Amino acid sequence: MASNDPADDVATYASSVRAALSDLPPAQAEVLLEDLEDHLREVASEAGGPLAERLGPPEQYAQELRAAYGATHAGGSRQDPALRDLRLAVRAVTASAWFAQVRAFLPELRPGWWVLRAYIVVLLLTEAFSRNYNLRPIPNPFSSRGLIEIIAAAIAIVVSIRLGRRNRALSNRGRLLAIGANVMIALIAIPVLARMSTFPSMAMMESGAAGQSQQLILPSGVVTNIYPYSRDGKPLTDVLLYDQDGRPLTTSQNVGDVTTEYPGGADGQPITNAYPLRQQHLNGDAVSAPRVALPPWPTASPTGTPPMSPSPSPTH
Amino acid sequence: MNQAEVDTTQLLKGVLDLAVLAVLAEADSYGYDVVRRLRENGLDHVGDASVYGTLRRLYQAGALNSYVVPSDEGPHRKYYGLNNRGRKALDQSAQTWVSLSKALNHLLNGRSNGHGK
Repeated sequence: MASNDPADDVATYASSVRAALSDLPPAQAEVLLEDLEDHLREVASEAGGPLAERLGPPEQYAQELRAAYGATHAGGSRQDPALRDLRLAVRAVTASAWFAQVRAFLPELRPGWWVLRAYIVVLLLTEAFSRNYNLRPIPNPFSSRGLIEIIAAAIAIVVSIRLGRRNRALSNRGRLLAIGANVMIALIAIPVLARMSTFPSMAMMESGAAGQSQQLILPSGVVTNIYPYSRDGKPLTDVLLYDQDGRPLTTSQNVGDVTTEYPGGADGQPITNAYPLRQQHLNGDAVSAPRVALPPWPTASPTGTPPMSPSPSPTH
Repeated sequence: MNQAEVDTTQLLKGVLDLAVLAVLAEADSYGYDVVRRLRENGLDHVGDASVYGTLRRLYQAGALNSYVVPSDEGPHRKYYGLNNRGRKALDQSAQTWVSLSKALNHLLNGRSNGHGK
């Protein structure tokens, strides 16, 4: 693989040499290889042509280094065969051309991470300071909270990029701390992002009134109101409805231009399942009851108690 | 790599420490410059990796000190120079080399005298 870019060439060659020496004890490899890239860059800048042409294959270069440095050979020490296989597999991967390319390319992704980590930190702070707040991937700019979140994210991104650019001048210890902080951010982000994935269903609940849990939707469409009638066709008012689990049965309010006014209970809480709901159009007109076609009952006397009646009795 | 080159490389290996120390005794220098100066002095077959590895080993052994010099054109350069230990090592190796080369020259001269005529 003859690369035209000398920097790529150096990175590729150096990572191949490192891979070939990956069996050295880490401390030894560190001392031997710490200036390798600088040195190769010097060689590359001196005259044209790919490094592999001028220095020979990286594996041979690595062998020469090993011999000159007097490093211990991997074959000399007794080794677990499984461990050796693993090491060989790792070496095969790290010595491949694509790995070198990925390795050389990864640093270019840094600015992307700087932006992403700022966004994540703001998400984390939002999560920490406002429990029960519905975390969204993109904050709603029309809510005050969302607006604060967006402004905070913008500031955080600027700060994060400045920090990122300054990191190059850090000492070894500072660099370790910085790496630790970055890994922490990434790890903490995982549960928060996982939580956020449930956001569509939470948004639906949020749009309803507090304490509400059930919305009635029929195949024919969304139910906005219920009009109960007695057996003899008289409209009933303030009929309380519950579902099979005993939860108050409520309907969608945010439909069209209709607003609903709930009667307040003695405890101050609105009663949301008393039907029919008192609804108004936005222009103030009350929503009128629909015309209904009442079913014809059997001609038996309505006052009598039919013996085969399927209707449940409250005492039974 | 032909047979002659292999032999030269083998021979060089034994004296590379001495050669590197001698170059650094002239003037402090960085890795690639050491390679160049060795080649300028006739050691054409000295390998880049051998010199780099030797420098790192001598440094690790405490025979060299090193310092980084910023460079405008390229990467920062790590310069190496002899410290007291390095100078002592150079003196001892040089003595060994001189006596060894005397003995070898004598041997070789004897051989060429014996078979030459």
